[in-house]
Amino acid sequence: MTIDQALLQTFREETRERLDRMVDTLLAIEAQGAGPDLIATLFRDAHSIKGNCGMLGFGEPAQIAHAMEDVIQAAEATGSMAGGLIDPMLAATDAIGALVTGATGLAAGVVAALQAQLGDGIGSLSDAAADGAAANDDHAECDQLAENGKSTAAVAAEGATVVRGDGRESSEPAAPAPRSIRVDAGRVDQLLDVVGETVLHQRRLEHLVNQGAMDGTGVEAELGHGQLLIDELQSSVTHMRALPLSSITGNYPRAVRDMAASAGKQVQLRLIGTDTQLDRLILDGISETIVHLVRNCVSHGIEAPAQRVAAGKPELGQLEVRADARAEWVAVTVRDDGQGVSPALMARATETGSLVEVLAQAGTSTAAEVTELSGRGIGLGAVKRHVESLGGTVEVKSVSGHGTAVTLLLPLTSSMVRLLLIESAGQVFGVPLANSIEVVSIAVTLSLAGRESIDVRGEAVPLLNVSEALCGRACEAGRKAVIVARSDRRIALTCDAILDEQEVVVKSLGPLLIGLPGYLGAAILADARIALILDPAFLVHTRARAVRTIAPAQPVRRKSKVMVVDDQLTVRELERSILESAGYGVITAEDGRAAMDMLQRDGEIALVLTDIEMPRLTGLELLAEIRADPERSSLPVVIVTSRGDTEDRRLGAEGGADAYVVKSEFAQEGLLTIVRRLMDL
Amino acid sequence: MSSAFVQVAVGAEQYAVAVEDVLEVAELGELTAVPGAPEALLGLINRDGQVLAVVDLATAIGTTSAGGPSFLVVIDDGRRRAGLAVDQLIDVRAPFALTEATSSDMVSGAAVVDGSLIGVLEIRSVLDRVSYSDGVQHDD
Repeated sequence: MTIDQALLQTFREETRERLDRMVDTLLAIEAQGAGPDLIATLFRDAHSIKGNCGMLGFGEPAQIAHAMEDVIQAAEATGSMAGGLIDPMLAATDAIGALVTGATGLAAGVVAALQAQLGDGIGSLSDAAADGAAANDDHAECDQLAENGKSTAAVAAEGATVVRGDGRESSEPAAPAPRSIRVDAGRVDQLLDVVGETVLHQRRLEHLVNQGAMDGTGVEAELGHGQLLIDELQSSVTHMRALPLSSITGNYPRAVRDMAASAGKQVQLRLIGTDTQLDRLILDGISETIVHLVRNCVSHGIEAPAQRVAAGKPELGQLEVRADARAEWVAVTVRDDGQGVSPALMARATETGSLVEVLAQAGTSTAAEVTELSGRGIGLGAVKRHVESLGGTVEVKSVSGHGTAVTLLLPLTSSMVRLLLIESAGQVFGVPLANSIEVVSIAVTLSLAGRESIDVRGEAVPLLNVSEALCGRACEAGRKAVIVARSDRRIALTCDAILDEQEVVVKSLGPLLIGLPGYLGAAILADARIALILDPAFLVHTRARAVRTIAPAQPVRRKSKVMVVDDQLTVRELERSILESAGYGVITAEDGRAAMDMLQRDGEIALVLTDIEMPRLTGLELLAEIRADPERSSLPVVIVTSRGDTEDRRLGAEGGADAYVVKSEFAQEGLLTIVRRLMDL
Repeated sequence: MSSAFVQVAVGAEQYAVAVEDVLEVAELGELTAVPGAPEALLGLINRDGQVLAVVDLATAIGTTSAGGPSFLVVIDDGRRRAGLAVDQLIDVRAPFALTEATSSDMVSGAAVVDGSLIGVLEIRSVLDRVSYSDGVQHDD
């Protein structure tokens, strides 16, 4: 099946939208009965999904959608949908969602469940139906809420997990897909206005500079005006990427319903103010936190019906998720009318003055306290840390016996910057992406007066190492370099590895290090590590004053051998002939162990091309050994896969492979292109 | 001096920090080194989503740690918050009278208590001492 990726993406997005609406409609039918409007909406969505799936060759989901149509037509005829059909119908939407993102082998069970239920009228579920529904529900409860805030790709991956959980055939995880945002045209116009003004300002500056008419005050005034324009640009763009809270709360109703059902609780969810806008990044960041709070309310806050009646409350517990805009902040509150925080903890909070602190600490202290809390404090410490890392704060209010409200105060905007993360001497540094021009491999270095540089398309760009730049200590240069540009100057910042791109909140280095040159600040990464953010202006100027501690210039010898590792002779020889005909020296090894031995002996090997499945030491194990060896950790490793197996690819990428190549592409340019790129020839 | 102290050890020496200056004590976790920072600055830690600079007390005070610090005392002098890395946390000690004068501006006084000489840290001076100051001119 060859479908244009963009078309596939559109198809998945549309299907997701329709499935979400089907879930809403089904829940509405469950609550209010099968009104003609609801039935019509449901049918339209099922019918469109069937048509689209059929057109793009997705047979299984089309089959399910067809079975759903039968159910809906029956409901239309009788004017009602049996309560027992809601669950299999919901399970069917889950299955379609998983199938269009790569899962297989789901249709038979789901269709059988629907047909069984339809045939039985209100009768009991058939075994097949129970299997299908239960398996899907387990996962739906755990994953569904969290899924909602993630990108389509993440949802796709989760969908695939659901399938594995069923014990059925696993599927190909979808590649990360870009998420699109719909932007109000007025906002784009506004942005364009500011850009126009910035252009005019630039022209005026040029004019003033050419006239030589700038004095000190003039410069300051112009800089001030420039700053104003930049602030406006920043604010326009920030507004453009704002999304409503509803973009993550969309399927809370379904998930709360499932959670409450499995906990034997009765819960009514109210969503208020979900059109409140938040920065996309902050929204992504708090999505799971809100899910956590909602889950806490259902499983620990709201009591079982009998207990509620005994306490003089209605059986139906109330759960509210509400967003309010407050000047520079958005307050998101998750409130329940459950049992609240225990009187003992409330008393302690009165003593210390902060309920949040008491709950955050209690969650991590003694087991007795955890029990006493009934889970209310568990994880609140984590929630608090997470929200604070986004620049927000957490407030908790509670009345024992009457409920709890947790409020997340989140900043509307934040000082975000996109970083390229690099590793140098075992430490992670960030370079603003705006200043990172490209990444190159260092093969040949040029040397003049003891200073090394590299040839980047005819220009000698000075090499700079992080520790050399920051404390004047020279050390062995890594194999890769980021070309950092700032005000017409460029340097090649060497590093051992390029890790990732990440958008981060810039934090100050703190009062002790204010003014320390070389850094813009620090960032806390997704894995809780700290990355120091390097100042590009400092880096491009530092070269002139760097202490010259580099060893006397030595002729740099280029390593040029490729090592081919494969247990099949024919493959080894095929690779050898392709590489040798392109002018590379080639040595071969029959498995990973032999390859490691050769690497120890031969210092000329500049690239490893390895198969995965091999006796003694597999390709992935070889990769791990190379990456763990300080002398060879940055050696380029290319993984050869038989048929573009995505699982191999993922494992390879996680293990630090530089590239992969598919065997069937050997004859084409694939292999040589990759080798050429990595060896920088 | 009327407040209680947190008593710590670095190498063979013992020091005390007034409890009102101490926010918390913890084990010293993973540090992120800051190339180019003053020598006594051990590195940064992620403390509840905030970046906290950690000072090596031994280096700051001019003694030698025994095998490297393993505990953290988070202090705040009202202006600045930082961590002090120490070898051991000994105890919280009741107030004691300072009987010995010291020559270091980082130690406000000392006393022999239960056979140990304990110096009371003047944390403002310690933080002043280890703060980065742009005394070195960087030519361009």
